[in-house]
Amino acid sequence: MKVSKSWLKDLVELDGFENVERLLPMRTIGTKEVTSDFIELDMKGYNRADLLSLRGVAYEVAAITDSKVKFGEPKESEYIWVEKSLDGVKAQVQDEDLVPLYCVAKIEGLKVQASSQDWVKKLEGSGVRSVNNIADVTNLVMLEYGQPLHAFDAGKVQDESIIVRRAKKGEKITTLDGKERELLEDDILITDPKKAIGIAGVMGGKDSEVVEDTQTILLEAAIFDPKSLRKTSQRLGLTSEASKRFYHGLTKKRLLQALDAATKMYEQLGGRLTALTIKGDTEDSIRKIPLTLNKTNSLMGVSLAHNQVEGYLRKLNFSLDALDPDTTASGDSWIISPPYWRLDVEIEEDLIEEAARMYGYENIPSKELPGSPPEKIGQTLFEMIYNLKSSLVDNGFTEVQTYSFFSTKILNNMDYKKDELIKVSNPISSETEYLRNHLWPNLLEVIDKNARQGMEDIAIFEVGKVFKPKENDKSLEKYKLAAALYDNSPNPLPTFYQLLKNFLETLNITLDDNTEHQKTHFHPKRFRRLLLSGTKIGKIGEVHKRATDKFGIAKRVAILEISLEKLNL
Amino acid sequence: MEDKLDGILQSYKTKISSSLSFNELDEIFLSLFGKNGELTIIPKEFSSLSVEEKKVVGPLFNQIKQDLEKAINDKRQEIREEEYKKLDQETIDFNTQVEFKKRKGQLHPLTEFENEITRIFGELGFQRFDAPLIDTDYNNFEVLNIPEDHPARDLWDTLYIDSTKYSVPNGKLLLRTHTSNSQIHIMKNLELPIRAMNIGSVFRHENLDARHEHTFSHFELVYIDKGLSMANLQFLSEYFFKRYLGEDTEVRLRPKYYPFVEPTAGIDALCIFCKGKGCKVCGDLGWIELAGAGMIHPNVLKNGGIDPEVYTGIAWGTGLERILMVKKGINDVRLFRNGDINFLKGVGDESK
Repeated sequence: MKVSKSWLKDLVELDGFENVERLLPMRTIGTKEVTSDFIELDMKGYNRADLLSLRGVAYEVAAITDSKVKFGEPKESEYIWVEKSLDGVKAQVQDEDLVPLYCVAKIEGLKVQASSQDWVKKLEGSGVRSVNNIADVTNLVMLEYGQPLHAFDAGKVQDESIIVRRAKKGEKITTLDGKERELLEDDILITDPKKAIGIAGVMGGKDSEVVEDTQTILLEAAIFDPKSLRKTSQRLGLTSEASKRFYHGLTKKRLLQALDAATKMYEQLGGRLTALTIKGDTEDSIRKIPLTLNKTNSLMGVSLAHNQVEGYLRKLNFSLDALDPDTTASGDSWIISPPYWRLDVEIEEDLIEEAARMYGYENIPSKELPGSPPEKIGQTLFEMIYNLKSSLVDNGFTEVQTYSFFSTKILNNMDYKKDELIKVSNPISSETEYLRNHLWPNLLEVIDKNARQGMEDIAIFEVGKVFKPKENDKSLEKYKLAAALYDNSPNPLPTFYQLLKNFLETLNITLDDNTEHQKTHFHPKRFRRLLLSGTKIGKIGEVHKRATDKFGIAKRVAILEISLEKLNL
Repeated sequence: MEDKLDGILQSYKTKISSSLSFNELDEIFLSLFGKNGELTIIPKEFSSLSVEEKKVVGPLFNQIKQDLEKAINDKRQEIREEEYKKLDQETIDFNTQVEFKKRKGQLHPLTEFENEITRIFGELGFQRFDAPLIDTDYNNFEVLNIPEDHPARDLWDTLYIDSTKYSVPNGKLLLRTHTSNSQIHIMKNLELPIRAMNIGSVFRHENLDARHEHTFSHFELVYIDKGLSMANLQFLSEYFFKRYLGEDTEVRLRPKYYPFVEPTAGIDALCIFCKGKGCKVCGDLGWIELAGAGMIHPNVLKNGGIDPEVYTGIAWGTGLERILMVKKGINDVRLFRNGDINFLKGVGDESK
């Protein structure tokens, strides 16, 4: 959210921005960029829907800087449609669960023009491009109130009649950006009796766009199911300023305020409100959340006074009802209602976070941990890995960590059967499509890379997880250890074995006497299975020249790989 | 022209199949495709052909080019396979004593850091707990108060496992996006009170560049006991960063949002380079965000079978690469996993 400084100044009594810039990250939310014109809030993944409106930001800034907002909450009795006898716009909502509130206002007598300099400046300060006076009203109101609006050219809506419904299979629409979009049955569509005129909350249709000669518009203000909308916008890759606000959550109060504000702005432009339809319940649900001083202090680890907590919450426009002192022990309990624009506050811990923010996280002292450490849990695996790694380093090996995937190079060079590997269903590229079921091929790739840069002596190892090493195995992942030696010699295995002899002996690992094997990736003779009290635990051998040739590794490579699961230390 | 091309094809096919070494094949390749190779110069004669002839000769030429290339490659492989047969004569004696030089080994910087974390938090009684890298959507997200289609899912671009083979619907099995998947495993498997930690790889659907990786290492600490507070969270943060970055390190908490903790805190350390004055490393802020933490959300405790009325919890986590990059001045996150041994040795030497 880009907050225009000059616009914010219109809404809050501020001397300057030094305090705002310092306090926002300390009390509210991180800032992405701060310039002389704007402050950009880092909204990624954040739950503060209120901060997607300048009014919400104004309330927050006023609370943390101890200043006042310059605007009052609009009175419902002053809404432009009150005490007017207006026709209704023909509108039908087929699925009220997906569209809890849907409003359309018909505004006539407009003339499409460029916006005033004042409007252009406000929009630009907020990172939004000015289009024309009609479209700019919807954006200005969205920025101030957080409620997205959409204006349809009434002349292009068949019969001036709107039906909100789910898309039909195979239905298509050309959106404002000129692209044809294919829709799924889960998408919510705005339609007229003949065709789709917009994808709800995501983008309007090209056909019903406001153009130069538009005089009458149908202005839509609605709340759509955020989940459905999020799915649609992600599938189509259409994330807009509007869709963001829809899926962060909207309030009915702000929706009506926005509709009122926009209509009044259109009247200033010479338009007239001639018809209005409001479909759905216009009351927001009110939350009542209990809070105790005791819990506040114990969760924060401080000792705030009764009045301090009350003061913080009041500054944030929370309304407080003290519980009847006769029924509570100390009178330090409240029932709290968050202001309607704070959809993120739901439970007592949320309220405590509000108090903690206002107190200042940085003022929370450091306190030693209470209680005593619990009983030891088994650390064998980690201690074993620690010891194995130390021992290999002592023997001259360097540890590498490689990806959990097999690169395409490995898949091709080793001729792996892909259907035996675990597959990623949405890989970033073919390099992250298959999970490794061995470690040593990745070591081969590391050797190749470093040998290409002229390194002539490479002794490396890796400890890590491999995935689904055996088809009949229930567990999807297992720890393995692999080591490799490339020493520019035609026969590195004896040296490799000497380097590891003590290491293997300490682990009670022995070479299998049986020298026969059918492994195509290994030298026909220079290979042995490794045994731990008679059972297979891994292998040691020279990588078959066919494999090293494919990588372009000039000299021979010796490797070892063992399963850690079977080791017990 | 067609005859001429066919002549080249036939004569070279014979040459190729009778050649016995890579050298011979290299020579054949050059006389075909080299600067003055027969197939290199022949297209110059095409200009004199009629349109009709070109229609025939063009495709024929391409076909012959491909055939000969393939023939050379096949022959190369054939020669190799012949050589591979000789491997049968090679032997191995595991008992030969060989002279070998003394090499200097080196732990990976991520392991060194992991060992430091284990040691420092071990002093406070925290113990390691292993958690799966392939986990369910439920354990990685839902249990952590992040239902499907929660806007906070934007924070974690996820790699999913093609899971129908394992009787799990697609989209329900994934590569863990954070070590927070360990929370539910820890709560379900350990007795209260709990002081546990999980360290390991996490995965994101992220294109690679100097600042983005699809694989990186996370650390998560899960602390559940009676009466824990944000003041303990401050203590843990200070305890760790003072020991890891130096006793003069200052640490502060800031508001932040993760759905599985409430209140949530971001953890800043005073920039270790400029000590708060503002420099390039900290983007003139004086502070660097190095970790995230919070009081475990009551819903998460409930999901783990723990009564939030009796117990409170702290979750504290960080990315290992991020801190190492700041501490050691590493400017490309890909260096940790691309197997560049010179880099790995360099970082190791520097830290000694």
